Amino acid sequence: MLFLTQLRFELLKLFARKRTYIGFAAFLVMEMMMLFLLNLPRTKMHMRHLIEQNGYGFDEYYSGTTLAMIILFRTSTLLGSLYLALVAGDLIAKEIEDGTMRMLLCRPVSRIRVTLLKYLACVVYTFALIFFIGVTALLAGLAFRGYGGLFISPEEGGVFSLIAPARGICLYLCAIPMLSLSMVTISSLGFLFSCCNMKPAAATTVTLSVIFLDLIFHAIPYFESIRPYFITTHLSTWMHIFETYIPWSHMMEDYSYLVGLDITCLILGSAIFLQRDLK
Amino acid sequence: MIRLDRLSKTFGARPALHELSLDIPQGQIFGLLGHNGAGKSTTFGMILGQVHPTAGAAYIRDISVQQHRLRALQGVGAIFETPAFYDYLSGWTNLRIFTAYTRKLPDAELMETVRFVGLEPRIHDPVRVYSHGMRQRLALAQALLPRPDIVLLDEPAEGLDPEGIHEMRHLILRLNRERGMTVLLSSHLLSEVEQVCDRIAVLNQGRMIFEGKWTDLKGDAIRYHLEADPWEKAAALIATVPALALAPERILTVAQGYDIADLVTALVQAGVKVRALEPIKQNLEELYLNLVGAPDRTIDPSKS
Repeated sequence: MLFLTQLRFELLKLFARKRTYIGFAAFLVMEMMMLFLLNLPRTKMHMRHLIEQNGYGFDEYYSGTTLAMIILFRTSTLLGSLYLALVAGDLIAKEIEDGTMRMLLCRPVSRIRVTLLKYLACVVYTFALIFFIGVTALLAGLAFRGYGGLFISPEEGGVFSLIAPARGICLYLCAIPMLSLSMVTISSLGFLFSCCNMKPAAATTVTLSVIFLDLIFHAIPYFESIRPYFITTHLSTWMHIFETYIPWSHMMEDYSYLVGLDITCLILGSAIFLQRDLK
Repeated sequence: MIRLDRLSKTFGARPALHELSLDIPQGQIFGLLGHNGAGKSTTFGMILGQVHPTAGAAYIRDISVQQHRLRALQGVGAIFETPAFYDYLSGWTNLRIFTAYTRKLPDAELMETVRFVGLEPRIHDPVRVYSHGMRQRLALAQALLPRPDIVLLDEPAEGLDPEGIHEMRHLILRLNRERGMTVLLSSHLLSEVEQVCDRIAVLNQGRMIFEGKWTDLKGDAIRYHLEADPWEKAAALIATVPALALAPERILTVAQGYDIADLVTALVQAGVKVRALEPIKQNLEELYLNLVGAPDRTIDPSKS
């Protein structure tokens, strides 16, 4: 019971800061920009070609769901990583830098409990941010293009799909928690570096460096054979939900890898934090 | 109540504290003095389990902080030199957050402590608009929740105005007298330490160079400032008395047991006019500066 009260206060601390909302605000602006650009005649022409060459009607499949899907896929990994790393990098490092961690640890509370509470708060933030992006992108997309089928081009994570309107929205909504779970790995990396003896900005930078480096390696064709070892490979597993035959076992494998990485970051971060002198 | 057993800490190659042993009984106000970097904050950190000692151990109520930190810190409150808060939240929410890490407290108990530290009218304001004095009060309030029997105060009056220092002093004395709290206090304000502490320990470059009542630092001799005319005649007479010693600036040191009235009588009988004879009261500041100014002069605590 006390654990829940403490978690509530951790969330209060997190969501009472203006900095926490930078990601939300940035995504709103970016969604509007993306929708505007996706509605430019030249852009639409490209999409029309992609849809119609497969024998489907452009107006039917260039819908709000399709636009939301493009936004979600294109922005979550890069921009999402940025804002998640920003918040996760602050978790422990900022409290140590500000001195509030010392105040907190005057109390009879274990460091492991503190790290666990902060980690859980960060997981909640990750889900909140991705849900926000997903839902606002869908609402904005529907407002721009209206209800219709979901078209996923192979450019989006290698999946090609044309899905009926109702099923499209349903799958899109199912994809949001899956993407959130994937993105927890980025938050976990941020958390790990936040526990190390470095400034919050450094923790954020190191987290982003790791993710971007992984992205770069993942994109290099010569590394095809070692792709299963890159985080990015597993991060995009949520896209499989849009396949005609969903490869559940493959997805489970990917999520096991990601959750394993999350747990490793949590344990390693806690162990580092446990050894540190707070002065 | 608090016992430090040969507590040592080294940061990298730099020794911060060397074999500090202390015993602070229940209900005492104990002062920890020393220059910046003497090891005071490190000592506080190790008592609270925030700094891992290189050797030795800290005990609170005979419970090892290093082995059973959670049990040892039950009933312990602390504030630091620059108390930090979540500035974007109100003082009240800050108190709720910090106390939630000990246990859930009723609002009435929180408000009682807020009233005790005199922060009631502004407790719902964001901490970012608080003055330094208000932040110190809030820090004290969080240290007093929920009703500790030991409080560690690291520079509690740091940055306060004279009125604030006065109030803080009285709050500490009230806590000790009314609630029977054991207080471990570190401060640069030696006059404050002098007025509130029962005993002190002086740290110099990580080593304890004195421990005891601060008045013990004075030693047995009593000093006077003497003005006599003619001075040479007075000085010659003083030189013949073994219990007396003259120091520069006409400072007369009188051994314990010698009656100063005998000297005055002797001087008057020898035709010396005694114009002034004032006892010199040494305060803690002078004694402290004498002590840390001579680092080689290590005082054996057992002899103090």
